Amino acid sequence: MAADPSPAPTSLSFPRSTFAKLTPGPFLHAHLKQNPPIRPSGRTLTQFREQQITTGSLTHSHGSAVVRLGDTTVVCSVQGEILKAADIPSPPDESADNEDLLETLGLLVPNIELSTGCSPAHLPGNPPSTLAQSLSWKVRTLLYGSEIVNPEDLQIMFTAPKIDEEDDAPVPEVKAYWTLYLDIMFISLDGNPFDAAWLAVMAALRTTRLPRASWDADREAVVCSPALEHYAHLTLHTTPVTATFAVFSTANPLKQRSEAESWVLTDPDTSEEEVCREALTVTVDGKRVLGIDKAGGRVIGMEAVEECVKLTFARWKEVSTILP
Amino acid sequence: MPLDTSTYSLARLRLDGRRAHELRRLSAQLHTQAAADGSAYFEQGNTKVICTVAGPSESKRRGGANSSEQNQDATVEVEVNFAGFSGTDRRKRARGDKRTAELAHTISSAFTSTLLLHLYPHSTITLTLHILSQSGSLLATCLNASTLALIDAGIPMLAPLAAVTVATTAAYADNEEEADVLLDVNEQEEVELPFLTIAGTGEGEGVRVLVLESRVQMGRLEGMIAVGLEGVRRVRGVLDGIVREHGERVLEGKVG
Repeated sequence: MAADPSPAPTSLSFPRSTFAKLTPGPFLHAHLKQNPPIRPSGRTLTQFREQQITTGSLTHSHGSAVVRLGDTTVVCSVQGEILKAADIPSPPDESADNEDLLETLGLLVPNIELSTGCSPAHLPGNPPSTLAQSLSWKVRTLLYGSEIVNPEDLQIMFTAPKIDEEDDAPVPEVKAYWTLYLDIMFISLDGNPFDAAWLAVMAALRTTRLPRASWDADREAVVCSPALEHYAHLTLHTTPVTATFAVFSTANPLKQRSEAESWVLTDPDTSEEEVCREALTVTVDGKRVLGIDKAGGRVIGMEAVEECVKLTFARWKEVSTILP
Repeated sequence: MPLDTSTYSLARLRLDGRRAHELRRLSAQLHTQAAADGSAYFEQGNTKVICTVAGPSESKRRGGANSSEQNQDATVEVEVNFAGFSGTDRRKRARGDKRTAELAHTISSAFTSTLLLHLYPHSTITLTLHILSQSGSLLATCLNASTLALIDAGIPMLAPLAAVTVATTAAYADNEEEADVLLDVNEQEEVELPFLTIAGTGEGEGVRVLVLESRVQMGRLEGMIAVGLEGVRRVRGVLDGIVREHGERVLEGKVG
């Protein structure tokens, strides 16, 4: 029997799944109107989906993670490659700001692959969609902006040996950099791609182990030690955690604004994303807010944003203990 | 040289500790993507492949002139996608890479003769393969993954296709007569030894797919094919087990 938000002209009764397909908006509204409000998947308004993180499954990568957030599955692989300082066309200034060094040299390269058949909207064989490109950009901005990796951790230094006693102490110079390529591939998508992608990036970076690299002056090349004991974890300086919220609203240009009801749904899945016109993503680390991203919509106000930020801090506590 | 180490000549153990006729660990999951008509994730050792099936769906081409007498059967289109992290070097393959096109064509023709395509006239069945990790036996793994995905999609076929690779140690054996046939070749062995990929239904002696790209002595070939067919039978047994287990779980209502 269908729950009817408005009296139907004919007495038809649909099974649940048909109702969900025919009128997804009223279907979600019928669930949210209950007291307490509940979502079709059975979650509460502020409940995240169950997540599963598996690391180290890819053999050829320096770090990898497979993350499942409900039915959204994402694989992230981190591969390090050497960039010789001599190959950089316009080397940065000695006094260049550390913050910009990473970005100028492009040492962190994320790429999101959505056209894998992960959902009917993302069929394989197509060039990257707007969503894929904007997700790649968001991940990139967060990687550089959160200063999770310092350029010093990626530098390969070399100190020339002292030849004469009278010479000054040799200055260590940067001979090469590690460039980290982060390939994020969606295996299945059921809403909230950004949170899943970022969780995979964090898990992969935390378990990335790079070999010990040194500059060989005779060969003029970087040599890596193959010994497993010499592989070292990356030093991560922050632990950004993201949370995405969608807003479902019954606001209608034909109705009074005061009559509209709205609910903020945490970690939306595809069926909820399709009927929500407004979304908000908050990124926090510890006690700092690293970013808030909201594009469009007119329902969320000050209190709702603050509430979402509080929820994200709570999420941070939960996730930072789960991350490997 | 994978077999130069003393472990092989003395103890007959390969680099990864297997004997000549041992398969690597095969594991799979069906219906990994709810959005696709059929999907499967297949692992053969460290070679990992995801296959999704879309179809049968309406063909894009509208054969107005040639629809009546000409071939009306469905077509099988295959697309192979190498993930950047699949090989030791991070390399994005160009779209029109010939090697990839050849792989896709081999898989497509293998299934064109196996699937009952006359049941779906004027439609297209699209197979998309995502290679997550390459560690030898790529074509065989792709064929096995595609079989499972097609079974998950419910597309009828004459018999499931199982594939395996075999190599011969003839060039490196002390005594030519003692050359061994190795089953299920991994990366390092593929580079050094002549190997072939063979696929069949696992019943009888029929060979559905045979790809040999290296030089082998005539006398070795029969032995390799014989061991290959035995390997195909065992892989077919493994695939059957995987499908049955998935079926049991579906019946118990644990899978959607």
